[in-house]
Amino acid sequence: MQEVTAQPRVVPEPKPKSYKSSSELKKRLWRNKLLYVMLIPGVLYFIVFKYLPMYGLIISFQDYKPYQGITGSEWVGMKHFSRLFTEPDFLNILGNTLILFGMNILIYFPIPIILALMLNELRGTFFKRFFQTLVYLPHFMSWVIVVSISFVMVTMDGGIINELLAYFGFSKINFLLSPGWFRPMYIIQVIWREAGWGTIIYLASIAAIDPGLYEASRMDGAGRLRQVWHITLPAIRGVIITLFILKIGSVLDLGFEHVYLLLNSMNREVAEIIDTYVYTAGLRQGQFSYSTAIGFFKSIVGLIMVVTVNKVSKKIGEEGVY
Amino acid sequence: MTKKSFTLLLSSLLTLSMLSACGGNNNNEAAATKDPGTSTGTNTAATEPAAEPEKPTEIKIMLPLNTTDTPPDTIKTEVEKLTNTKLTYQFFPADTYEEKLNSSFATGSLPQVTYLKNQTTFLQMKEAIKDGQFWEIGPLLSEFPNLNKLKPEILGNTKVDGKLYTLYIGRPLARQGIIYRKDWADKLGLAAPANTEELFTMAKAFTEQDPDGNGKKDTIGLVDRNELVYGAFKTVSSWFGTPNNWAEKDGQLAPEFTFPQYFDTMDFFKNLRDGGYMNQDFAATSKTDAVNMFTSGKAGLYIGGSMQDIDSLNKDLIKNVPDAVLDTHSMVAGPDGKFAQWMIPGYNNVVLFPKSAVKDEAELKKILAFFDKMMTPEVANLMYWGIEGTHYTVEDGKAKATDNKELIEREVKGFKDSVIGEYETNGMYQSLNVLPGRIHAEELVLENVKVGVADPTAALDSATYTSKGVELQQIITDATYKYMYGQLDKAGFEKEVENWKSRGGAQIIEEYNAAYKK
Repeated sequence: MQEVTAQPRVVPEPKPKSYKSSSELKKRLWRNKLLYVMLIPGVLYFIVFKYLPMYGLIISFQDYKPYQGITGSEWVGMKHFSRLFTEPDFLNILGNTLILFGMNILIYFPIPIILALMLNELRGTFFKRFFQTLVYLPHFMSWVIVVSISFVMVTMDGGIINELLAYFGFSKINFLLSPGWFRPMYIIQVIWREAGWGTIIYLASIAAIDPGLYEASRMDGAGRLRQVWHITLPAIRGVIITLFILKIGSVLDLGFEHVYLLLNSMNREVAEIIDTYVYTAGLRQGQFSYSTAIGFFKSIVGLIMVVTVNKVSKKIGEEGVY
Repeated sequence: MTKKSFTLLLSSLLTLSMLSACGGNNNNEAAATKDPGTSTGTNTAATEPAAEPEKPTEIKIMLPLNTTDTPPDTIKTEVEKLTNTKLTYQFFPADTYEEKLNSSFATGSLPQVTYLKNQTTFLQMKEAIKDGQFWEIGPLLSEFPNLNKLKPEILGNTKVDGKLYTLYIGRPLARQGIIYRKDWADKLGLAAPANTEELFTMAKAFTEQDPDGNGKKDTIGLVDRNELVYGAFKTVSSWFGTPNNWAEKDGQLAPEFTFPQYFDTMDFFKNLRDGGYMNQDFAATSKTDAVNMFTSGKAGLYIGGSMQDIDSLNKDLIKNVPDAVLDTHSMVAGPDGKFAQWMIPGYNNVVLFPKSAVKDEAELKKILAFFDKMMTPEVANLMYWGIEGTHYTVEDGKAKATDNKELIEREVKGFKDSVIGEYETNGMYQSLNVLPGRIHAEELVLENVKVGVADPTAALDSATYTSKGVELQQIITDATYKYMYGQLDKAGFEKEVENWKSRGGAQIIEEYNAAYKK
C-alpha cells in the first residue's frame, strides 16, 4: 500500500543527508542544475507576489494616506483591529463566515470524492468521459451566470420552481429574500459549479493505483464495494488529507463574488461575510487601513488553522503538507 | 481557476497594491524628472508666438466605461487633431470603477485626468481633496473663456470647503419619472396617473385586467429593482412629499427617513407588493432583470432613473411586442395634491486633477486648455455625437443619431459620458427626438425642475458622513426593504433609525446642522 500513496519524487535519492565536504554538495547541486533553474520562476513569483506585498500589512497599524505613503502616514497602533472587534456586527459576520465555511467542509468537501469514486466505477470509456465532462462544465461559468440562472429559476415572478410548487398546490417560497434559504442556495450553487471540477485530482490519483491490487482482491472474492473501501479509498487518502489541509487554509475565503451576488437587504443578517464586509466598508469607502487590518486578521486565522490541522494529521500518522 | 484567482486577487488586492504603492511612487518620481522639462519647455514656447506648430500635449485620462468594449480610436484621433493633444484613455468598466479608483488612488497611480464615477464617489474623495491631493482649479477658470461658462450654481455644488477642484459633467436636474405602456392604459381606459392613488390604480389594473389581452393573468403593474435611489423608491417618495435626503424639521436639519412621508412611501410599496401589483422579488432584482421584465412585455410601469431611457426600452420592447406603445409621465401629485420632484445637484460626475500626476501649474494649465477646447461646439459635438455623417446628421439645428445604435454604442458612447458641461454651456447640438414619448420626456424634464426639491446638504460637509455614511446608510436601506416586506413594523423601523444614530448618524446630523447654520 505504501508505494501507492507515496508521491513521485523528483530527486531519486532518498532523504538528503549531511554532506561531508562542501565539494560533494557542489557536485550534487551541479548535477541537478536544471532542476534549480526551473525553480527560479517559482521562487521569484513567491517573492514578488507573496512575500514583498506583506510589507503592505504595515498600513493596518497606520492611518494610511496614499499621498503620504507608508513612510509618512501616522501610526495608530491597534486602532483598526480594535475597531473591528468592537464593531457591533463583527461577531455576526464572523459567525456567518464560519458557518458557510463549515458547510463547505462538511457538505461540499466529500462530494467530489464520492463523485470520483462513482465515475471510476463507470465502465466504458465513452460514458466515463461523457459524464466527467458533463459534471465539470459548470466550473467554466462565472458566478454571475450561475447566480442569474438560479435567479430565473427560483424567482417568485414566474420562476419555474415556484410555478411547479404552485401547480402542485404548495405555496410559493421566497428563495431569494428569505434568510433561511440563503445558506442552502449558497451550498447548492457551490456544489453544482465546483463538484465536478473537484473530481479531477481524485480521478487522477485513482488512475495511478496498481490494477494488480484489484485483481488480487477479486481473486480473494472482494466485491465492488469492498474494493472501493479497502483499495481505492486508502490509496487516495493522502490526496484527500492534503486537499483538506489546503482547504482549511482558506478558511475565511469563501468566494467574495458569489456571496456578494446573493446578498441583499433581506438576507444580510446571514449573508454578510468578512469578504463582503471588506468590500463595502473598506474598498468602496476607501478605508484602506481598516480593510487591510481585516484581511490581516483573516490570514492569521487561516495560518493558525493550517498549522493546527497539519500537526494533527502528522500526529495520526499521515503525511501533512509540509 | 480564473474565478479562484479572482477571489484571491480581491482579497489580497490591498496588500498587493501597497507593494505597488512603493514601486509606483518611485516610477512616478522617475517619470516626473523627465516630464517637467518637456512640459515647461513647451509651455514657454506656447506663451511666445511660436513659429513652428506647438508640440501636442500628452494627457492620460481615466474614466468609467458604460459599455462592454473599449471604443476604437475613431473619435479619439479626431479629438487629438482638433485639440493638438496626444490622448491616452484608460477605460475601466463602470461596475467595478470604485475599486479601480480606490486602488489606483492608494497606489498613487492616478493619471493626470481622473473622472470619478458619480456623486457618491465624489463625496468619498472629499477627505482626500481637503488633504490637498488634487489641484484647486477655481482661481484659474477665468483664464479659460469656455470653462468660464460653466454654471456657477452647479460649480457651487461641487465645491469642497468653498474651493473648486473639479469640472463637472452636466445632467438635467430632474429627469426621473414614469415610463409606461400607453397601449395598455388606452385599452383599459386609463389616463396617465395624476396622483399617487391613480398610480396605484394603474398598477393594479395592469395586473388584474389582462392588458395584453391573452386571456391569462400573466402581467404585473410595476417592475422595480434593488436600488432605493435610482429605482422607483426615491422618485415616488418625492411625489409623496418626502424631502430630498434632508430637510428642516423643528428648526433642525433631519434625514428624510424621519419624516412621515417616508413611511407613506414605504406603505405604498408594501401595498403594491402585498397585492401582487409589482415584482415580488424586487429587493433582489438587478437592473438588467428589471429591464428584461419590462421589455419582454410582462410589466407595464417602469419608474425611476431617467425618462430618457425610453429610447432604449422602446427599441428592445418592440422587438418582443411589435405593437407596444410607450409614453412618459412625471407629474404625480401627492396625497395633499402638491407636486414635487427630487433633484440632483446638476452633475452626474466630476473630473479631478491629482497632484501626484500633474506636476506643476503649467502642466495643469495645459490640461485645462484641452478641457477648454472640449467645451467648444466643435469638440463637444464630436465627443458627444460622433462624426457628422457617420454617427449623426443635423436636422433643424439638432443632432439626429444614426439608426445604427450598435455603432454609436461601440464608437461614441465611451466618449459621450466624458463631455464637460451641458449643451447650454458647451454649445453642442441638442438631440432631435422622433419617439413621441421621448419628446414628451424632454418637456417633462423642464417641468420637473419647476417643482424641484433640492438637497440642502449638497454643498455641506460632514466628516462622519464622508467616512462612514455609505456604511451607515446600509442600515436604513435594509430597514426600508424589511418594512416594505412586512418584516419590520413602524416601531421596528424607528429602532433601526436609533441604531443608525448611535453608530454615527447623530454625529452626521450634528455636523450637517453646524455647517448649515454657517
